[in-house]
Amino acid sequence: MSVLILRAAAVLYALAAGAYVAFFARPRHTRVATVGFWLLAAAFAVHAAAIGVGCAEFGGREFFSLRGGLVLMVWLGAGAYLFLGRYYHMPTVGAFITPLILVVLVPAVFGEPGRPGVPPETLRNPSVTVHIITAVLGVALFGIAFGVALMYLLQEREVKGKHFGALFSRLPSLDSLDQLTQRLVRAGFVFYSVALVAGTLTARVVWKSAWSWDPQQVISLAIWILYGAMVQLRHTGWHGRRYAVLTLVGFVLVLGSMLTLGMVPGATRHSGTYGAPVSEAGGAQ
Amino acid sequence: MSGHEVFLVGLSHKSAPIDVREKVALTGDDLKAALGDLRGMDGVTEALVVSTCNRVEVFVHADAEEPARRFFTSRAPDADGHLYVKRGMEAIRHLFRVAASLDSMVVGEQQILGQVKEAYGLASAASAAGAYFSRLCNRAFATAKRVRTETDIGKGASSMSQVAVELVEKIFGDLKGRSILLVGAGKMGALSAKALAVLGADRVLVTNRSPERGLALAEQVAGTFRTWEELPRLLTEADVVIVSTGAPTYVVTKEMARAAMRARHTRSLCLIDLAVPRNVDPACADLGDVFAYDVDDMERVVEATHQARRGEALRAEAIVEAEVMAFTREREARAALPVLAQLRRRAERIARAEAERTLAQVGAKLDEKGRRSVEAMAQAIVNKLLHGPTARLKEAASSGDTALPGAAADLFGIEADAAGQEGRPPGDRPERAAASTERS
Repeated sequence: MSVLILRAAAVLYALAAGAYVAFFARPRHTRVATVGFWLLAAAFAVHAAAIGVGCAEFGGREFFSLRGGLVLMVWLGAGAYLFLGRYYHMPTVGAFITPLILVVLVPAVFGEPGRPGVPPETLRNPSVTVHIITAVLGVALFGIAFGVALMYLLQEREVKGKHFGALFSRLPSLDSLDQLTQRLVRAGFVFYSVALVAGTLTARVVWKSAWSWDPQQVISLAIWILYGAMVQLRHTGWHGRRYAVLTLVGFVLVLGSMLTLGMVPGATRHSGTYGAPVSEAGGAQ
Repeated sequence: MSGHEVFLVGLSHKSAPIDVREKVALTGDDLKAALGDLRGMDGVTEALVVSTCNRVEVFVHADAEEPARRFFTSRAPDADGHLYVKRGMEAIRHLFRVAASLDSMVVGEQQILGQVKEAYGLASAASAAGAYFSRLCNRAFATAKRVRTETDIGKGASSMSQVAVELVEKIFGDLKGRSILLVGAGKMGALSAKALAVLGADRVLVTNRSPERGLALAEQVAGTFRTWEELPRLLTEADVVIVSTGAPTYVVTKEMARAAMRARHTRSLCLIDLAVPRNVDPACADLGDVFAYDVDDMERVVEATHQARRGEALRAEAIVEAEVMAFTREREARAALPVLAQLRRRAERIARAEAERTLAQVGAKLDEKGRRSVEAMAQAIVNKLLHGPTARLKEAASSGDTALPGAAADLFGIEADAAGQEGRPPGDRPERAAASTERS
């Protein structure tokens, strides 16, 4: 059931992306951007319903898998973009973010949610919920920052290369893109930090140790340090091109690690049985 | 059309040099007086004068062009050789093209529509423009708006200073909390600094080798003068630097820019070099967050804009053409319809009278149904008889044929005043009658 609603949401996401891209191609039709915004808002609402129904169906278990994580990321990312759209008037950004959302969502839409490794009862803990939501929101914000940083680099190439073509007139100013990237990175870092703290607390309870050299832990810490460094570097004068490149690298690392760890079975205790004794997990299956 | 139509006599940047144009250009009260004079002339029912620094054009609704021509020859006898005269559809097309900025020196510039609107406002206030010019001008404004929204004719930067504005906008967004530095007292530099004012810079700094000219320039652009020796430090303060000195060498070197960038922390620097030979080392652009442009770069943008606008102008011309056709067709339809209405009214009156006469004689022998049949027969004869002429007249009206309505009026002996006089206020009688006949 929930997957059907999710597919409906995906169609709305696709329409929103279509509208934003069409607006980008023909910026004279500002109404198309407004249509895109409301389509995205509708997609967000339908997606929320899908998540709600999914929780009722599977008790939230689906969010323990990579697929569930990506679906949640799309939802939070779309929400974050809608929220930003209210404060920054840059509809052309939508043409970069909505396709990104679609790319992440499409693999998850096909096929049934499946039966992810059933988390043990010990994981049914509020700190896990906080951990999942903040981590995914942090990554979603890094994702949007990625899109905006990409726009920065494209615009910088136009401005610096003295090539005042279609992109030049459509993309926002370098200064506003730079500022937006910085704010997104900072906000993402805050949520990611909360996720790490919640994760560490959970690990202490479930795995009996806060740090166990789990690959996910190592990579998450690396990502946290990278983004933390970016927040710091900003104060020492890093901005513009270098900052945008760093933002791109950061998100590629995030996405790459998520996909590799999610696809290699048993690489990390963040999947499968979540480090619980096999008998317990097997029993629940 | 009772001999009245639109005439245009005018001169513009395309036909006359500035010294002729300035002799005939009028503003304010002089223009009002001239409108009054035009309106007072024999055979002129309406008048409109568009007077800007690039064109002076007199539109009259009259039986001849002479009154409009006299407007020019009385003011400047030598204007005669520079005048162009257009009438009817040609004049209408010209007005539409002017309003849509297709006849401007810089095609697509925004000002002209406002100027034409102002001209119409003046003519209207002076009672020189009546119902016909009201329709004509409103159609011209609507056409201009269509051109602006449906084509990209107004897009892009069409002058160097506009390019500067666009560039700075794409780098900084706006200039709130930032400052502009003007190096050297070149004319282009001052123009660009003035144009950049739209972005709301906090302050304008001016420096020049000779303090006298620098101070004068500072006053001109509402800026603060700083001495030439301060230049390296000014580069750390200002965000947009416009350089236009007469110096034969680089005034801003890469070393200076590098030193400035170190002190600028996170702020980008935009260097605009308007001097020939160049005053800013082009190697400055290799530095991160330094954006440097020279005259060639800027001119390339202007040329690209003009090229794009030429392409858009073709699409705009098509819109203008369609609007001109629609407008003239509507006018002609209006002219033909009164004839039709009169004709139909007269025929119906005759039919009704004849039916009544017949009924008065034999009505007593008929029942209700029979009486209605007689009335219906009379009406049917009228309809059948007029079916052909009606179709033909409507067709003639929409294809712009004015001879046929005139001939019809002659043939059926319909009063000339019904043949749709131009200059009647909208909703005037014959037209309203025509409209109601059409509906029935």
